[in-house]
Amino acid sequence: MDLRRFLDLYVSETGEHVRLLHRSLLQLEKEQGGGAVDEAFRAAHTLKGLSAAMGYRTVADLAHVLEDRLEEIRAGRTAPTPALIDDMLARADELEAAIAQAVSTVPQEAAVESSEQDAGTPTSLDAPLPPGTAAVALVRLRADAPIKSARAMIVMRSLASIGGLLGSHPAEFDDDFSGEFFIFFDAVADTAAAEAIIAGAGEVVSVEFMSPDQLRASTVPQPARPAAPPSASADRQIRVDAERLSGIADGIGELSVLFGRLEPQVSGYGPAGEMLTRMGRVLTDLQRDVLQLRLVPLREAFDRLPRVVRDAARTVGRDVELIVAGDDVEIDRSIIDEIVDPLVHLLRNAVDHGIESPEERVRAGKPAAGRIRIGAERERSSVRITIADDGGGVPRAKVVQRARAAGLLPAGASADITDEELFRLLTHAGLSTAEQVSAVSGRGVGMDVVASGIRALGGAIDMHTRTGEGTTFSIRLPISRALALALRVRIGTEQYAIPLTHIAEAVDLNDNVDKAADTVLLRDEVVPLVRLRRMLQVPQGGSEETAIIAVRGDRRAGLVVDELIGREQILVKGFDPAAGTLPYFSGATLLADGRPALVLDPLSVI
Amino acid sequence: MARTVLICDDALFMRSMLADILKGAGFEVIGEAQTGAEAVKRYKELHPDLVTMDIVMPDMGGIDAVRAIMKEYPQARILMCSAMGQQALVIEAIQAGARDFVVKPFQPSRVLEAVQRVLG
Repeated sequence: MDLRRFLDLYVSETGEHVRLLHRSLLQLEKEQGGGAVDEAFRAAHTLKGLSAAMGYRTVADLAHVLEDRLEEIRAGRTAPTPALIDDMLARADELEAAIAQAVSTVPQEAAVESSEQDAGTPTSLDAPLPPGTAAVALVRLRADAPIKSARAMIVMRSLASIGGLLGSHPAEFDDDFSGEFFIFFDAVADTAAAEAIIAGAGEVVSVEFMSPDQLRASTVPQPARPAAPPSASADRQIRVDAERLSGIADGIGELSVLFGRLEPQVSGYGPAGEMLTRMGRVLTDLQRDVLQLRLVPLREAFDRLPRVVRDAARTVGRDVELIVAGDDVEIDRSIIDEIVDPLVHLLRNAVDHGIESPEERVRAGKPAAGRIRIGAERERSSVRITIADDGGGVPRAKVVQRARAAGLLPAGASADITDEELFRLLTHAGLSTAEQVSAVSGRGVGMDVVASGIRALGGAIDMHTRTGEGTTFSIRLPISRALALALRVRIGTEQYAIPLTHIAEAVDLNDNVDKAADTVLLRDEVVPLVRLRRMLQVPQGGSEETAIIAVRGDRRAGLVVDELIGREQILVKGFDPAAGTLPYFSGATLLADGRPALVLDPLSVI
Repeated sequence: MARTVLICDDALFMRSMLADILKGAGFEVIGEAQTGAEAVKRYKELHPDLVTMDIVMPDMGGIDAVRAIMKEYPQARILMCSAMGQQALVIEAIQAGARDFVVKPFQPSRVLEAVQRVLG
């Protein structure tokens, strides 16, 4: 059987449990005695089982070690000292790396082993031991083993060649046999040989040998094991490959396109028109549902961040607390995967360069421990993530000085620049990646990578900083990368789609336009206009009636189009622009009437 | 030398599927039988290393075939192939001398594990 078929499932499931493991270990460090140790134990246990089933011995062994330590803590035999937590976190990292390593190779054993039963409380032995019992084996069959009674018979029969077999409990295996049974041996039995035979008799998950005394000790009622994680509807959920969901989304997208083409050809009255209207409603619902299906809580990205902050803070000898909020805000799965790196980068920067040393903080009248808040909130069809530290802020003068030296600013440029200009300098590849700059400016290592990563997701990032008070990054992301609500506009004879993520409103250009300055007055604010017709080199003239107001941070611009045709759900197909193409497009799409259109990235023109 | 197998099942689909799994693992399928009586006859001719035996077959059932083979060849290694719900029959077959069993629908890994145990 080809285990590769299970690989995706393995990767996603272990991913969840590795995150759970990290989170609960960190939790355990903070508050002992809570449920954290149980949670960590379960995560390690599950990781062991999953990995063993895939034949990934190394991973399973690593998980086993963790499971053992956690069991010690659970049982109260060891205290979760910081050193021990450090050690376990390091092992969790190792485990994660081992999983990555393992899945890059072909599974080693073509055996779906041990769909291991939870090693729950052993079946209590309510029968007396046969006289002369010196050793007892507790045998557990696989939970999904077929015809367990026949299997137990085979186990017993295979032991016939071993001397000293006294019997079993239950003595007979009937249809209700649970799959757990005790085998009794006398003092002359070769228990090592017996163990090997039992383990090799098929469908056996575990064999535990114990003395009669140990058996009695282990069958006194034990405290109940923690209940399974609270997943009320777990048994009613199924896992679906994300690829398949994408396939469904694509299919629905195409259906919408066909629908859009069919609609004008059918009279709005009569049965056909009615059916079509209903069909349209169903399609809209389907689109929304499939988008929902792809959404996962940001927790999946946020969960690993406390660890990042903790490690970074330890390295530089700072005390930093990370406060996480809004981790239940949902966003498209594909965006989650891509957003972790930028967030990690920003947090490391905040710890490294934003938060001051404890002495400095105390001098400035702040608490010695730094504080970083990360939060998320849903804003219409986008998600805003903010990362705010209470550190010293970006040293404006130093950055400007650096920028002058690098020739990014004229020699006499004033240091009195806006946050936005400051951020642009920080994200300038020539400045932000220069090693020595980070030491001087205190911020900016790889900031260009962060900014471009977020842009690639169709998002935007801006920054506010106040000397002595801290720095806040604000990231706005589309909820979904594939399906986006977009405005359909006409420029000349061509139609374009503009995703709504960064659009505030559309205004009529007949009034309030300052032709000379090429600006529009919008509620007392002067907004520059961008003539898309000129920019995109559309040959035909047009009325240029409407401006779409795009927002990026504090800046606004009015994208001038000839006509705002409407609003529709589009399926963006990203592309790598060919050399020499205008750099304003983030992809292409099929409009509802089947017409292909380029998707304009409003941020590229601000 | 490849280990030899005699496959006994009245359904062609089951025989081909088993043959497929076993050949894939390097076994040599040297014969097939569609009834219990044929299974006994073929065993005598071929002396295979392993027999896979369906339980319900026309003419003579698998369990009777196990008894007949074991009576003459106590060292025979027979793997029962059972459908769901044949618990009592499987136990009967084990008592008659079958070494192990697999349950349909077949999972190749489980079939091969069982074969290894029977031959091991």
